[in-house]
Amino acid sequence: MSAGNMNLNGRPRVGVYICHCGINIAGKIEIAELVKFAEKLPDVTVVRDYKFMCSDPGQNIIQADIRNGLVNRVVVASCSPLMHESTFRRVSSDAGVNQFLTQMANIREHVSWVTADSQDATAKAKALIGAAVHRVVLHKPLEKKTVPVHPDVLVVGGGIAGIHAALTLAESGKKVYLVEREPSIGGHMAQFDKTFPTLDCAACILTPKMTQVRLHPNIELLSYSEVDSVDGYIGNFDVKVRRKARFVNEDKCTGCGECTVNCPVHNRIAPPEHPEVEPHLDHEVKSWLTNLLEQYKGRAREALLPLMIEVNRQYRYLPRDIIHYMAWRLDIPLSDVALQVATFYNVFSLKPRGLHTIRICMGTACFVKGSGRLLERLERELGIKTGETTSNLNFTLEAVRCIGCCALAPAIRIDGDTYAHVRQDRIPRLLRKYTVEGGVKV
Amino acid sequence: MKITTMQGLEDARAQGERSLYPARTKITVGMATCGIASGAGAVYAALIEEVKNKRLDATVTRAGCIGYCQQEPLVDVLQPGLPRITFGQMTPKKARELVVRLSEKKGLPFEDAIYRTDEDKILITGQEVRLAAERAANGYRKVTLIREHPYFKKQKRIILRNCGLIDPESIEEYIACGGYRALWKALKEMTPIRINEEIKKAGLRGRGGAGFLTGKKWELCRLEPGEPKYVICNADEGDPGAFMDRSVLESDPFSVLEGMVIGAFSIGSHQGYIYVRAEYPLAIERLRAAIDQAEEYGTLGKNILGSSFTFNVRVVEGAGAFVCGEETGLIASIEGSLGEPRQRPPYPAQKGLWGCPTNINNVKTWASVAPIIFRGGSWFVATGTEGNPGTTVFSLVGKVRNNGLAEVPLGIRLREMIFDIGGGIQDDRAFKAVQTGGPSGGCLPASLIDLPVDYERLADAGSMMGSGGMIVMDEDTCMVDIARYFLEFTSDESCGKCTPCREGTKRMLQILTRITRGKGRPGDAEYLQNLAEVIKETSLCGLGGTAPNPVLSTLRYFHDEYEAHIVDKRCPGRVCKELISYSIDPEKCPGCLACLKQCPTEAIIGEAKVAHRIIGNKCIKCGACLDVCNYNAVIVE
Repeated sequence: MSAGNMNLNGRPRVGVYICHCGINIAGKIEIAELVKFAEKLPDVTVVRDYKFMCSDPGQNIIQADIRNGLVNRVVVASCSPLMHESTFRRVSSDAGVNQFLTQMANIREHVSWVTADSQDATAKAKALIGAAVHRVVLHKPLEKKTVPVHPDVLVVGGGIAGIHAALTLAESGKKVYLVEREPSIGGHMAQFDKTFPTLDCAACILTPKMTQVRLHPNIELLSYSEVDSVDGYIGNFDVKVRRKARFVNEDKCTGCGECTVNCPVHNRIAPPEHPEVEPHLDHEVKSWLTNLLEQYKGRAREALLPLMIEVNRQYRYLPRDIIHYMAWRLDIPLSDVALQVATFYNVFSLKPRGLHTIRICMGTACFVKGSGRLLERLERELGIKTGETTSNLNFTLEAVRCIGCCALAPAIRIDGDTYAHVRQDRIPRLLRKYTVEGGVKV
Repeated sequence: MKITTMQGLEDARAQGERSLYPARTKITVGMATCGIASGAGAVYAALIEEVKNKRLDATVTRAGCIGYCQQEPLVDVLQPGLPRITFGQMTPKKARELVVRLSEKKGLPFEDAIYRTDEDKILITGQEVRLAAERAANGYRKVTLIREHPYFKKQKRIILRNCGLIDPESIEEYIACGGYRALWKALKEMTPIRINEEIKKAGLRGRGGAGFLTGKKWELCRLEPGEPKYVICNADEGDPGAFMDRSVLESDPFSVLEGMVIGAFSIGSHQGYIYVRAEYPLAIERLRAAIDQAEEYGTLGKNILGSSFTFNVRVVEGAGAFVCGEETGLIASIEGSLGEPRQRPPYPAQKGLWGCPTNINNVKTWASVAPIIFRGGSWFVATGTEGNPGTTVFSLVGKVRNNGLAEVPLGIRLREMIFDIGGGIQDDRAFKAVQTGGPSGGCLPASLIDLPVDYERLADAGSMMGSGGMIVMDEDTCMVDIARYFLEFTSDESCGKCTPCREGTKRMLQILTRITRGKGRPGDAEYLQNLAEVIKETSLCGLGGTAPNPVLSTLRYFHDEYEAHIVDKRCPGRVCKELISYSIDPEKCPGCLACLKQCPTEAIIGEAKVAHRIIGNKCIKCGACLDVCNYNAVIVE
């Protein structure tokens, strides 16, 4: 802070340098207006414009003002900082102002090139210059310094990528810590037979590398461990690795696996988190669900699918509050019930379905006999796509993979009724049979 | 009520026989899903009402499905001492007439009859039941005998032995057809090892599609240490185009239950599961009813048939996921989680349901068990071919005249299936291909028409047995579109766990869609071939491993169709919308206005008795005109 104050020489004196960039900027933006605007900004002492600010004569203008003591902070309104920020920083520092007291306003790429109207462009340029001036006043002079770098490397994850990275680094002489969450490294690749797309044998690639990791003097393997926190910065990280309880003397263990085979609890799954509060549910629905649950006493997981099927049958979809309640009652995480199971199986819907569900069979026999054209006709008649529900909640249209009536192809099932050998011209009549006047009340 | 002695079984049999062959007229309606969809419900109601009105001395009953779906609804009439006559394509009106004729003793409407049955042969016991006491009267003799009817002549019914004959909700009728004899023999006279040996001797192969030896599978599970053990019946018949599992469960659920009890006894299991897909509500209903009855009669539950053996069965309803038909996926689904397959080994026999040894077989496999146990493995081997003993059920559907289920000895030729049993192609079109094995199978061309059907031959030809779907395609089918259809199916049903299946099927679908839209690029066919082979090699489970089969087999046999799409931008099957156009043949069109009324975009112009015309740019190629035209005047090219 003190060094910064010394460079400031009292109050900030901002110089604003507006570049024409030939006609790139001046062709669109009223430069004279910008100059007038910038002159009125607080702390601004000098405003100048020039054809090419980045050229030598342009740079000299800035340096002259700095050397003459007119300016101790610089705003250059020109192109993108990607283009010339380093140029203008050097200009400032060569003339004796800390390079970080320079700010650019991008009025070319952000304004003149991309704005159609000249007035709009000028207004936006003003706003950008104003912002840059206000900002540069708050800049602090910064100094570059060098710190020693800790050369050791931590690799997180002992999959094939992590293994390979660790080995490459260790070979180049670095000390490597390899952290793996599971008891063994290898990751997904250890589960594959062959690799895509060359069909190489996965184990033949992976296992030699796994052994190399274990034997390499430069690699320290932290298996069954997880990274808890990462602090610090590039070159000087502070990492906390939590080594999970293992109750095995690692120096003596040969990894024979005998103990896991004999362990009475190794297959136990940790119970999921249980919300404290019972989710709200209508009393009647609750007792209905409770009755259903009675049949599955003590077999929560097995009860899940039949219960969901039952609820889905009753309501034609899975209402949100029931799902919440079921997850709580069965002590199964909500994400498991609602997201995984409900979206995996085709019969479930998380959105309300129509009063009648039209299931058009898309089995092979039906397909060969033109069920695709029937489906298109249904979509046209109902004005919805497959899988959607009509806005009056009368019909939901679904394509199913074979209802097992292949000898009657093409077949359609509406609710519980199956219709055989359906032809396109029969569809309007079929739909009329199920239509409820004025839509369905929910 | 519980059957504990041979006498008890005999009593039940006698009672079953009385309802199967009553001393008065019996009218039976085939009431499986396909029958009901064809209107059997209305026929049944009409029969009951009319019988009551006419005070006819007759019972009206329901049966399952005999498999001749083309002729549904089917109605059997059995009068004491006369052959059973089966009528097809019944309507309520015809049904009423039938009752009227019966009550006025006018003789049956033989012109509507499809076939007659003079005697029933009980498969399990080998015993014959004569129906026609004397030589049948003239009218009866005119009707074809069932064993000479082209649809049934080549069939040999082991799995479907009772289908369409008995009331699926009557355990007595099942017992009257030899039911639970095998279970009696197994529990009282055989050891678990002997039972297992008998199945091994029979060489029964899994009828779910992969064809693994059932006896071997049981042995693996039987010898596996660990308790409890589970047996599962896989009734998640997801293959589109196959419906025999549904039909067996709807028509003869006890045969599956009996097979499961025998299997469980051999393996040492006390809890069974039957996993039925959600799309089969009637099968679930009948199965539940059958389980209740079996428990009541003591052929399921505690102390089965008076022995010390206990076995319970629970029905699990699927929720619509094709991949759950894969055994590890199915097990995961029963456990209440995602039906995602996992890596094998460990196989279910080692680590299955809840981590315990589990044996899982298909519906048809379980239904085959009882006859093998009662009549012996060597009896079973006599049917079929070497290495492929026994029979299997095919669902013969698509563009074939006689749609339905046919049970035939393995090794039968495709020609016999399609042209003898199936009666040839509909509307006298040319036969183009037959698709077997569902989305995992392939399409076989007309040149392979003499191929014997067994597990190995089909695999060599690039298809597979699968669950027995046999979809016949004629010249109006586009093979590229069929490949696209199956990839749409598999990419949708892929669970997404492994990359080759998840990404690969999607990519193949994109390319196939491009080709069917006329935007195929040179080299697409080769690229597909390459991609298909990689997916086949690298996928985790059977779904991905077989998903490329429809593409590979169509590329192999119908390469010219791919070329026509890609190079000439032409669809030889006249299916792909972007590559065809509709027009009306002015010579054939009499101007009946039928198509004009149906056209959703008013693209057809004309007036009564003047040939119509289609305005090309208005036509959305929906095919409505084609469907309604009775004069074959709509041309697609």
